[in-house]
Amino acid sequence: MTFKEQMTVAVGKFVSWTSKTFRLGAGATWPGEIALFFSPNILRSLGSQLSGGIILVAGTNGKTTTSLMIKTILEHEGMMVVHNKSGANLLNGIVSACIDMATGKGHIKADWGVFEVDENSLPIVLHEVSPKAIVLLNLFRDQLDRYGEVDVIAEKWEKALKYVNSDTTLILNADDPLVSFLGKKATLKAKYFGLTDTSLQAKTMEHATDSTFCLFCGARLSYRTVFFSHIGDWYCRACGEKRPRLDLPSWKSPLPGLYNLYNTLASVLTARTFGVPDDHITQALKGFAPAFGRQEEFVIDGKTVKLFLSKNPAGFNASLRTVLECKSRAILLALNDRIPDGRDVSWIWDVDFEKIPDAVTVIVTGDRVYDMAVRIKYTRTSLIVNRDSQKSGLFVEPDIKKAIQKGLDQVKNEETLYILPTYSAMLEIRKVLTGKRIL
Amino acid sequence: MNYRLNIAWLYPDLMSTYGDRGNVMVLARRSAWRGVDANIVPITLETPPKKLRSCDLIFMGGAQDRQQKLASEDFLGNKAPLVKEMVEKNVPALFVCAAYQFAGHYYRPYHGEDIPGAGIFDLVTIHPGDQAKRLIGNVVAKIINIPELTGIKIVGFENHGGRTTLGPKMLPLARVIKGYGNNSEDRLEGAVYKNSIGSYFHGPLLPKNPQIADFLIKKALEVTYQKTVELPALDDSVEIEAQKFIIHKVGA
Repeated sequence: MTFKEQMTVAVGKFVSWTSKTFRLGAGATWPGEIALFFSPNILRSLGSQLSGGIILVAGTNGKTTTSLMIKTILEHEGMMVVHNKSGANLLNGIVSACIDMATGKGHIKADWGVFEVDENSLPIVLHEVSPKAIVLLNLFRDQLDRYGEVDVIAEKWEKALKYVNSDTTLILNADDPLVSFLGKKATLKAKYFGLTDTSLQAKTMEHATDSTFCLFCGARLSYRTVFFSHIGDWYCRACGEKRPRLDLPSWKSPLPGLYNLYNTLASVLTARTFGVPDDHITQALKGFAPAFGRQEEFVIDGKTVKLFLSKNPAGFNASLRTVLECKSRAILLALNDRIPDGRDVSWIWDVDFEKIPDAVTVIVTGDRVYDMAVRIKYTRTSLIVNRDSQKSGLFVEPDIKKAIQKGLDQVKNEETLYILPTYSAMLEIRKVLTGKRIL
Repeated sequence: MNYRLNIAWLYPDLMSTYGDRGNVMVLARRSAWRGVDANIVPITLETPPKKLRSCDLIFMGGAQDRQQKLASEDFLGNKAPLVKEMVEKNVPALFVCAAYQFAGHYYRPYHGEDIPGAGIFDLVTIHPGDQAKRLIGNVVAKIINIPELTGIKIVGFENHGGRTTLGPKMLPLARVIKGYGNNSEDRLEGAVYKNSIGSYFHGPLLPKNPQIADFLIKKALEVTYQKTVELPALDDSVEIEAQKFIIHKVGA
């Protein structure tokens, strides 16, 4: 590390200290942003100090949970892990996390780096570090105004993977045709996870499916089993391409929901790749606590509130499936349209809200409360949408605090209110529920 | 109302990128709430074109590049001629975003050859090059060429690189108040031809603009049943609030 880089780390640490001390923010992005201004390649010298190596986790849904699981397993092995736990997953967030774990002289006190990486930032991050493993979870349509089309992201990834060091292992979701296609295209070693348990299959096809056409020949893909969205045991009748052989087909998930099963498979396969024995993995994940906002539980006046971050159609459908399986009585939907949520809320029409039975009370809130109200209105066969009527089963409440209260009023003691918020709405709701800022 | 209404939905599995199906849901639900027996008829690669003949209203939405290529051959070869014939016979159709471009004569990319369109609408779309910015954002416009709806504000979200110019057979749908519209230069948005409409308001155009949905339903019934139809009013208060939010947000 050069003297200039040492100075950069010191400045970064000062920025981090200032922003935390004066409560300007969690210090999750600014220290990195400023460090990158002085030393654009600072991550190279910071990352090269990690003797174990770096693991990157990317994909539309499940990054935060998967990277937290991998970190948990490695820490259980006695390793020190640097991790961007606040979900700041651009280059500046990763640099901030490293600076946070570094001494004033720029020495990192950690063996491993486990970082979740934003879909668009993966090529940029790969330019700066040589990871031991790249975990690719899935690609779903998400914030078209910010990310562009899923095919475009897959193309960017394909290009970026061409320049990755040859001892990098790809950990890939075989059940996502777009992701497993990347494994077939890349020259890197690839390991695949996926599911074989057909009892987990989706009862009906969701509308928001993205990649149901063969990437090799363009024909419509067939599925032996669809688990959700376009994720399943796929094959092509026309050219014979099919889901690759699975290196890990099952594992007991510490969290409910099919999504978390996939996150678990990804983490376990990664840990196995680095020689962690199976019984250690099981031990490490026992009692795994979800990341903030992801199936996180709060108890308010004897009633349970459970938060399911839901930021795109595939994520929302997965949350709904889990919530409805829990026989929920009331669901609160919170829709914001700020930068982290995406300014365009059109995607709510791709979520299968029709699956919510008329008997379940729905409360809608957030910046775009009326967009969500319109969406739910069109799921109901009758046309009663009184703003405050018990009968209609739909409550429209722009104020998030009041909406939470209204939701709590709808459930009895010992019952659970399920809240499905977009990202910034989740942060707001957490602030209300915990009475403080996140992390 | 003792009517039937078949709504053709072109390529629901290929041309439905970002909430496009909201349009079909709104058409079907608003018909059903008035007692019209509305059916959604999915028309995709494997569907025989003649199925379109049983339809009274046509919808086609946005697509990603790869998916549009897959749909393109089948549409231009098998289905577009019939859709064109129906549009000429006053059957209402709604083309949104990529489908709006596709309904024109051609799309001229920055590199490479022109991509032929269906020629249903007299318009062309040109991509001005890598350096030109994509037209993205909330948009508010005022309808100017549907007599029943002239003067009402419509709201939506646009996200397109191509710039569309209308030919002499087309009328612009609306005048842009905030946002970009067809090409960001002439301040016009969308197009009207007979009873059909094209728009860059992508995905769910109709949920927040129920007036256009009702216009399409009314025209579809009138053409099919050959008589004047008056649709009973519905309570659109939440739609109006959603509209107002965007108008207020962009300061239009």
